[in-house]
Amino acid sequence: MYLTKKTYVKEQMKLAGLLFENPYLMLMMQHFGLNFVVQDKSVEQVCRENDINKDVFTAIANLYNGFQELDSVHFTRTDIPSVISFLKNSHQYYKDEKYPEIKALIDEIARVNSTPEIKLIEQFFDEYFHEVIDHLEYEDEVAFPYFEKLAEEGESKQLADYSARVYRDHHTDIESKIMELKKLLLKHIPLHQDKTLRRRLIISLFELEYDLTIHYAIEEDLLIPLINHFEKTPDRG
Amino acid sequence: MIYEGLSTILLKGNPHGRILRFENLDELKEYRDKNCLEVIIVNPAIIMGDPGALGSVKKHFRKAQWVGLVAAVFSDSLLQLFDARIQITDTPGNINSTIARLTEENCICADDSPVEELSDREKEVLIELVHGLSNKEIADKLHISTHTVISHRKNISQKAGIKSLSGLTIYAITQNIISIEDIQSGG
Repeated sequence: MYLTKKTYVKEQMKLAGLLFENPYLMLMMQHFGLNFVVQDKSVEQVCRENDINKDVFTAIANLYNGFQELDSVHFTRTDIPSVISFLKNSHQYYKDEKYPEIKALIDEIARVNSTPEIKLIEQFFDEYFHEVIDHLEYEDEVAFPYFEKLAEEGESKQLADYSARVYRDHHTDIESKIMELKKLLLKHIPLHQDKTLRRRLIISLFELEYDLTIHYAIEEDLLIPLINHFEKTPDRG
Repeated sequence: MIYEGLSTILLKGNPHGRILRFENLDELKEYRDKNCLEVIIVNPAIIMGDPGALGSVKKHFRKAQWVGLVAAVFSDSLLQLFDARIQITDTPGNINSTIARLTEENCICADDSPVEELSDREKEVLIELVHGLSNKEIADKLHISTHTVISHRKNISQKAGIKSLSGLTIYAITQNIISIEDIQSGG
């Protein structure tokens, strides 16, 4: 049977069962700073033991499983640090693990496939990689510290030169170029002794794109509205 | 049991289709890829207590056709909320023709037969683009309006699925629209 939809995550469900269904949730666990070997524990139990709001956890897990319920979930100021830490850990994963992995695969392909297009793909990826690093560093160094301060103090007045609005204006999507890379590698550039490497590269790009799409949705639809809300009402969470 | 049987019938009639199962309307409402759902089959019993609920979920799925899966006796006003109905007694052939009729009327899978080959004019515009010319310069060179250049660019990006200039450059080479020497010599 061809069934692609994943389970709608609820707090009383066993986490291991969900991980077996959608292994990408392991990555989500890692972004939350959690171990993914959880024996028979339920979502609620794991959240309680690790001091994570189960609503934040299920909302994000549901994003990984294809449901967008962020509008209807009520978050509080105390949730900001766990969301920021999730996003920072994701950044770490992109910078230290995923992009180097992709870069290494492209380099390897360039060694066996000498068609000129592959050289251009290398350039394309390098340029893109720099853009991404800029984007991630801007968030880590400028945007997130401001949000953390806001979460801690509930005060935004002394930082009037920065706001969620500025952040939103800066917030560009960094995944559309992955789509372009996939298109070029899967549809147009002829294979030349790089079939296995090419498949590994394309699958790796799919994985990155999947995580980036969710990352972007968390920033746009969870973080920005949350910050907006506390900028308007700085004194109460 | 009904779900298992129905999905088997639908997949046999429509091997390229995909079937997703939702437990209730709330779960359906939060599904992310709303525009990908062509037909939504609902057991009318779940809205009997609150027929208005269907209307509020329907708003989120502008492209979908709603089908009632009728396994009991329901009032006409309830059944009228659906675009079509499948009776539990229908033959597999009947069920598939009902679904086929709905998906034909409402074909959102147009990308089965898209025109992807660039027109000659689009190729000319692409060549100038990858050589770094601006819209205005391309318009002057090809004796067309800037507006036309912009519309060609849109079509090129749509057909190629690529927006960035560096991506389009690689695309143009793979399509033999330009050669690698062209861009290395700086055009």
